[in-house]
Amino acid sequence: MDINTFLAQFISGLSTAMLLFLISSGLTLIFGVVNVLNFAHGSFYLLGTYFAYQIMQLFDNFWIGLLAGAVGAGIVGMIIEVLFLRRIYGRAQEGAFQLLMTFAFILILDDMVKFIWGTEYKTISKPASLVGSFNLGTVMVPVYNVFIIVVGFLVVIFAWYFLTKTDTGKTVRASSLDRIMLGLLGTNVPMIMTVVFGVATAMGGLAGVLAAPLRTVTPGAGVEVIIDSMIVVVIGGFGNFWGALLGAIIIGEVLSFGILWVPELATVLTFIVMIVVLIVKPEGLLAKKAVGRK
Amino acid sequence: MKRKLISLFIIAAILIPLGVVQGAETIKIGALYTMTGRGGQYGKDSEVAIKIALDEVNAKGLPGGAKLDVIITDDKNPQYAVSVAKRYITDEKCKFLFGIISTAIGLAVTEVSKEYKIVFVGTDHAGTDLTANKFQKYYFRSANNTFQSMMAGAYYLKDDVKGWKKIAYIGPDYAYGRDQWMELKWGLDKLGVKYEVVGEYWPKLYEPDYTSYITAIMKAAPDILVNGMWGGDTVAFIKQAKPYGLFSKMKYFHVDAGGNYEALAALGADMPAGLIMSARHHNNWPETAANKTYVQKFYKAAGRYPSYAAEGAYVGVHMIAEAIRKVGNANDSDALVKAMEGMKIQCPEDPQGFTSYIDPKTHQIVQIQAIGTTVKNDKFPPAKYMLGNFKTYPAEKLWPNFEYIEYMTKIKGK
Repeated sequence: MDINTFLAQFISGLSTAMLLFLISSGLTLIFGVVNVLNFAHGSFYLLGTYFAYQIMQLFDNFWIGLLAGAVGAGIVGMIIEVLFLRRIYGRAQEGAFQLLMTFAFILILDDMVKFIWGTEYKTISKPASLVGSFNLGTVMVPVYNVFIIVVGFLVVIFAWYFLTKTDTGKTVRASSLDRIMLGLLGTNVPMIMTVVFGVATAMGGLAGVLAAPLRTVTPGAGVEVIIDSMIVVVIGGFGNFWGALLGAIIIGEVLSFGILWVPELATVLTFIVMIVVLIVKPEGLLAKKAVGRK
Repeated sequence: MKRKLISLFIIAAILIPLGVVQGAETIKIGALYTMTGRGGQYGKDSEVAIKIALDEVNAKGLPGGAKLDVIITDDKNPQYAVSVAKRYITDEKCKFLFGIISTAIGLAVTEVSKEYKIVFVGTDHAGTDLTANKFQKYYFRSANNTFQSMMAGAYYLKDDVKGWKKIAYIGPDYAYGRDQWMELKWGLDKLGVKYEVVGEYWPKLYEPDYTSYITAIMKAAPDILVNGMWGGDTVAFIKQAKPYGLFSKMKYFHVDAGGNYEALAALGADMPAGLIMSARHHNNWPETAANKTYVQKFYKAAGRYPSYAAEGAYVGVHMIAEAIRKVGNANDSDALVKAMEGMKIQCPEDPQGFTSYIDPKTHQIVQIQAIGTTVKNDKFPPAKYMLGNFKTYPAEKLWPNFEYIEYMTKIKGK
């Protein structure tokens, strides 16, 4: 394989990976800290897109739409956490309740989108500054794809700084290890849960808006991204933020080079990777074996 | 006593006319459409078109003053659709089954139609199987199948695209995507076109990210890229491929569903010019009074222009009404089948001088196919590009094709 082909596939794989990461990072954050497997995470991706679409009808500005999409999805996320999810924490069979409740929200939010905005496809355009492509040697690279890669890495850097260097970040990490002890030390744990849920769903919304200029804005789009995001989280390790990054990069690049070499297997490649990881390291690549969560 | 008599008179005055109305039969059609998710727009558009057609049919009148009515349910999946279809027949006493977007669901429901001997008019799903190897006599289709599109495509590639040799395909990895490619290659072979396949790509249906497929296709460097996607997948692919310059490096060919109005509308100004496309109905072709009236009626009812799916539903209702008129009632399925076989039915998509008809052997509607290229046209907003430069292909050259049906039956079984 010549260097140009390698570069083209690598960059396209990275662009796929970063969108996957932006969606699955919120999913894994919610699992890691709030201990909820949020099947409805894709619905926040969808909500973010539609909030952005609505705001852009008024202001015709991508950046305001991006902000509105992320904030709107985050606010709806917090409302759902406070009014619904909080009521099932700590219950016997909490897992089953989580599954039922978050699945119900997939249906509710999807239908809500359909009732408000209709079933026809909507369009969100790229900002003018990010239209077009440039040449990297003989490889053509779209500016918008590079923008997504940059945003992905910025989120990684910000998350690393926040979780490891700030007191609030350390409190968030502590809450993922032992909520009861943290509560006994005087921390408002329910508030942390709500805020983390809000931030994570806002990241889902952000991913939705970033993806919109490249994809189709339509009801049902949220459901379509959740399976790949789940696979990323399984590969990286449930609840592990860095695992989501690693999982997304592995899936993005395996898919990209797999499509080049064995296109017939494209639809099963992600599942093959997941099966291999589950056999070799069932808890996920970056997860610790014993998780002392309470 | 006098007051009692007056009351009785008033009650009688109200009930007698009601009795007359109740005496007129309501003939029920049990429809199944995808009403949620990606395909939801097709279901919604079909619903609008059904209402328009019902108004026309009931205004014109049916034998015995009967009225047609349509019940619509979200089809969800094959198992659920089968259970609803059975309920339609046994509980709701529907005389017809109708609709369906997905070929997989159509294939499941055609078995119900066969078992209960109830006429099933498929209005959207395009899998050739239903009017070929999986044909059963109670099934009819009011929109073209993928073979008709792809055979017309084969003629286009043979006659209207010069100097090409290398061809590649990308399409969703399920029967609809696989069949289109098989049909196009069969058509090219039959027409004696020499070509070299340099790539076949099978993303999953609703794949959100085609970036790696696009770079792989550009590496393969075909002269023609054939796309077999529909709806939102088309939109996503074109949006993602455009900044890579894919459309300037190869001819883009997408003739079953590429030119669907909803895709043209969603892409707006992002749609590149010169893409070779078609759809099962065009809002701007043919420029006949019938097509213009149909499109405007839809726009008035829905506040938007129709996707292709609406026309199949519109035509399907008219087909059923015409069959009832011929038979005199809707109680004899076998007589209805006879009435529909060979039926001529004027469709909005029929150009001047041509009337679509139902092939009596396969029960497939036979229609002229028009393939065009994307050109600037903002007469149907929010679309900024529509199809133009149309080439048309005679209906009888495209269907029925018993040689292909035999080939398909050999490959896929009965």
